[in-house]
Amino acid sequence: MAKLELRNVSKFFNHHNNSIKTLNNINLQIEDGEFVCLVGPSGCGKSTLLNIVAGLEKPDEGEVILDGKTVNGTNPDRLVVFQEGALFPWLNVIDNVEFGLKIAGIDKEKRRERALHYLRLMQLDKFADSYIYQLSIGMRQRVAIARALVMDPEVLLMDEPFAALDAQTRDLLVVELQLLWQKTRKTIIFVTHSIAESVCLGDRVIIFTHRPASIKKEFKIDYRRPRLMEDPEINKYASNILDALKSEVIAAMKEENK
Amino acid sequence: MINAHLILKKVVFYVLILITWQLIYLSNLLPELVLPSPSQVGESMIIMITNGSLAYALGTSFMRLAIGLVISVTIGFTLGYYMTKHRILYDTFGSLVLGLQSIPSIAWVPLSIIWFGINDMSIIFVIIASTIFSVIITTYTGIRNVPTLYIKAATNMGAKGFVLMYEVIIPAALPYLISGLRQAWSFAWRGLISAEMLITILGLGFLLITARNVYDMPQVISVMIIIMTIGLVVDGFIFSRIENKVATRYGIR
Ligand SMILES: Nc1ncnc2c1ncn2[C@@H]1O[C@H](COP(=O)(O)OP(=O)(O)OP(=O)(O)O)[C@@H](O)[C@H]1O
Ligand SMILES: [Mg+2]
Repeated sequence: MAKLELRNVSKFFNHHNNSIKTLNNINLQIEDGEFVCLVGPSGCGKSTLLNIVAGLEKPDEGEVILDGKTVNGTNPDRLVVFQEGALFPWLNVIDNVEFGLKIAGIDKEKRRERALHYLRLMQLDKFADSYIYQLSIGMRQRVAIARALVMDPEVLLMDEPFAALDAQTRDLLVVELQLLWQKTRKTIIFVTHSIAESVCLGDRVIIFTHRPASIKKEFKIDYRRPRLMEDPEINKYASNILDALKSEVIAAMKEENK
Repeated sequence: MINAHLILKKVVFYVLILITWQLIYLSNLLPELVLPSPSQVGESMIIMITNGSLAYALGTSFMRLAIGLVISVTIGFTLGYYMTKHRILYDTFGSLVLGLQSIPSIAWVPLSIIWFGINDMSIIFVIIASTIFSVIITTYTGIRNVPTLYIKAATNMGAKGFVLMYEVIIPAALPYLISGLRQAWSFAWRGLISAEMLITILGLGFLLITARNVYDMPQVISVMIIIMTIGLVVDGFIFSRIENKVATRYGIR
């Protein structure tokens, strides 16, 4: 049985009194411990899809099934690492990481210990007492990842967490994230619009169409880990995917012109 | 940050003012009732300090101020919060609040005297009336402007209801709440002095009006200097420091 399943998920948004379809009948099965990357053009509905899985939005049709049960609303077993980090500026780093544990009513000593463990894993323990404005964007994203991991979620939902980073930091975090994943074996859905990034990270790369987003194509990436962004093999995978997409686009255009 | 150069500039400026003042006084251009000398004002200040009348007036005034502000902030915050929750409250009550907010604090005094009489309560009421509406409005705007991203993230981590309010919404709205408080303080301070002058039972405003009644110009000026100094210290040192610190931390500046 799949760890997480999206069954016939569709979503509409109201725009000037018009109902606009954003997600079109998405069917997706994700295995336990799998690292799945979603790629699609800007505005196609990737964040919306993650929000639906997280239970922050309701699908208009279809359902999301976690461990055989239809999910209903939001719950820390599916945690989002947001595009913009969404760390709380009024808390220092360690209190940010502890936030979810505090809400869950875990006592001070225990949550400090767990938070520190994940900060160490992210090599940020030295910054435990810093405030968010004192961190670089890359460090912020690592704090955001620690804040999610400390809750030990069943599924980690990452929404373009590296989009705002410079190339070097991004490449570094891509490796770090793989090592982390190998250690924790979390089920991860990772949204990006970089095909290279998705190939480097994913066991599976799923390509979405323009809005309304539907699954266009799926690629399995069987390659040793940790993979490096600059690895020529990775680039080859990426350009193969690009080629496949191009021919697809051309085919679609021909179809339309008939 | 202490900047020696800046302090020096200020000291020189105020010394120059004192010298000019003293020179005008010595020139006998103005009668003593209109402009007493700096040393007469200083003397009057020292008398008020040593005979305890200043401390007593300050104590009384600050007690009223504290009571008024606590009531106003508590009720104002609650109402502002409910206005964010219920659209209908904003559409109806909200417009009234905007109107009431534009009434200068001194204009509340006659009503307050008729309602409560000549006593502490009527002064406290003036403080409440001159601050509560701006507290309501800043609370409303502050909460409305909390980034939905924070709420989403917190909800995702399991926060809801009162916990969400206490752990996320209030701290996220803090920059607004603090500038609201700063504004409330300055309205309250003005309202307090006006009310004490017109309702005349003890306090700093009372000290000012009694000095006028006996044409004690040195005391009039020294009380005014005290009123200015307190306003400056609370606003310029306390509030602007807190605001700067919060702005930095929240990445606003
Ligand atoms: N709350 C909303 N109300 C109305 N429309 C919305 C809402 N949220 C998203 N949309 C619309 O849905 C579409 C998909 O948005 P979404 O944020 O999911 O895109 P995305 O694929 O994540 O884009 P990006 O790569 O730029 O982050 C957009 O066209 C957006 O305008
Ligand atoms: Mg997005």
